[in-house]
Amino acid sequence: MVNWFYVPLQAILNGLLTGALYALIGMGMALIFGVMRIVNFAHGAFLMMGMYATYVLFQATGVSPYYQFPLAGVLLFFVGYATYMGLLRPIGGQVDFMVILLTLGVALILTDGAQLVFGADYHQINIPLLSKNIHLGSQISINAPWLVSFGIAMVLACTLYWLVTQTMFGRAARAIAQNPYAAPLMGINVNRVQAIAFGIGSAAAGIAGALLLPVFYLFPDVGSQFTLKAFVLVVLGGMGSIQGAAIAGLVLGVVESLTSLYWGNQWALAVDFVFFILVLSLKPSGIFGSQRA
Amino acid sequence: MRKWQALIAAVFLFAALFVPLLALTDYTLQILFRVFLFAALGLAWNLVGGYAGQLSLGHAAYFGVGAYGLALFSKVGISPWASVLLGVGLAVISAAMIGKVSFRLRGPYFALCTIAFAEVLRLVAKNLPNVTGGDVGVQVPLLFPHSSIRCFYWSGVLLTSFALALSAWIERSRFGYYLMAIREDQDTALSVGVNAARSKLWALLISAAITGLGGALYASMFLFIVPDQVLPMDISTEIAIVAMLGGAGTLIGPLVGSVVLECAAEIFKNIFKEAHLLIYGVLIVVVVLFMPEGIVGTIVSKLALFKKTPSAPFAAPGRATAEEESQRVAIDK
Repeated sequence: MVNWFYVPLQAILNGLLTGALYALIGMGMALIFGVMRIVNFAHGAFLMMGMYATYVLFQATGVSPYYQFPLAGVLLFFVGYATYMGLLRPIGGQVDFMVILLTLGVALILTDGAQLVFGADYHQINIPLLSKNIHLGSQISINAPWLVSFGIAMVLACTLYWLVTQTMFGRAARAIAQNPYAAPLMGINVNRVQAIAFGIGSAAAGIAGALLLPVFYLFPDVGSQFTLKAFVLVVLGGMGSIQGAAIAGLVLGVVESLTSLYWGNQWALAVDFVFFILVLSLKPSGIFGSQRA
Repeated sequence: MRKWQALIAAVFLFAALFVPLLALTDYTLQILFRVFLFAALGLAWNLVGGYAGQLSLGHAAYFGVGAYGLALFSKVGISPWASVLLGVGLAVISAAMIGKVSFRLRGPYFALCTIAFAEVLRLVAKNLPNVTGGDVGVQVPLLFPHSSIRCFYWSGVLLTSFALALSAWIERSRFGYYLMAIREDQDTALSVGVNAARSKLWALLISAAITGLGGALYASMFLFIVPDQVLPMDISTEIAIVAMLGGAGTLIGPLVGSVVLECAAEIFKNIFKEAHLLIYGVLIVVVVLFMPEGIVGTIVSKLALFKKTPSAPFAAPGRATAEEESQRVAIDK
């Protein structure tokens, strides 16, 4: 009877649940972009690594990804840290042209490396939580894993926000974002802070991968769609603004969910990009940002 | 230096015309066609990405529009070669629209914007099955009466020669100097009266026309196309990698890049099976770390060391040579 009300409401709710994971991915990317002005094309590949790491661990131990996601975070932190120290720092003086190309190369190596090791097959895991649904009233229901991942993602997003706004590391990171030339003069170890920021950003992608594993298919190229989505989020949120990227994640989740509902699933990504081009051409500083692009 | 590059390229291309007279298998010729196709695409990309310094990662858009132009116009009864021209026209029109929006942005924003446009086109092609056949695909007419791979090979060589001649001319023209001035410093270029917006747009239009033509050739050879084959981001990145590997902003860089990359990909295909893109990744990382000016660019700047007035900054020669050496060894295997 009241379908016109409950159906969109359910879609918005689902969108918010997905959006929390987008927020986590976008915040990681925004942190990296803000501190380094690096467009990280390997972000999705890091997410894919997090997924495979969690998958392997789940197959070996049977522990639910919702308990072991910190391990993916730790692993990806070191991967990100090493990527920065080994590859990005040596070309620090280069134009962003080269940096884009380099992260693209890293993404190709990781994606095809995963294909070499794990094969191109699709994997999926099964945990008991997947079949649980929480009903709100008679019309609305929420799938339990999504709710759990929403909770974890929100807690982590708040932690990340706290890290950037309240700690000494965050201060240093924001100082570098404001003025990369003055920051080292103020006694900030730019390389170390950037390496840590790159590590934390990658860890966010890895954890998002771990949280996605139970509700998503796993295959080597799974990351590329999230790389593109992360770009959209960073631009919508205002380049380098992590709270902007978080809000943009939730908004994008809802927009995608409503697009799927009314036009079909296949248009969701296209709407993302149209949205992205419109924002880039009309308000390049982002919907929630104040910086000039 | 440029004269030497042009001479080498001319001799190489002239010799390439006679390659099909050797008794080669169709498979080998198909690979060689791919080498020349991507050389032409790399040269086209070089106008925007190399000379003008605008990192376009959305050239798959023009490639795909050229391919789909041929398929769709001939579906409604237009003759194949007229469809090719219409497809190229469509690629140029789409380039005009994409350029108008994306050239207002700089650096990474520009790159992201070009990706977004190409992805939108891919998704639209996928999701409009009534027009494009969607994921089921659409048939493409044969451009040459005899379904011979030789004709495709020759057309590939001709397209490369055309792109090379055009690049050589542009490199020495006022227009080319405008583009290079924009690459070095857009604001300074503007201040001395270069119309940056118009120059960049013209470079993109020429680039898109060649890329669209390449797309049509490619589609016609496969006789059948789907969106994920002619419009994916992989095509965009491959085009950019070919040019940058050889040396963005050098005349024969894209040609060298295409020969190296396509041959390496072919050799590694047997070792890594589906994961042969791995070698692309490794090549990119090696080039960015050790030869940021690309193969030709690095050689040119090294030769410049022997001139009286060094025109290029001193690179670390020892490191680069070792890297080139190890790369050559890797390819020889």
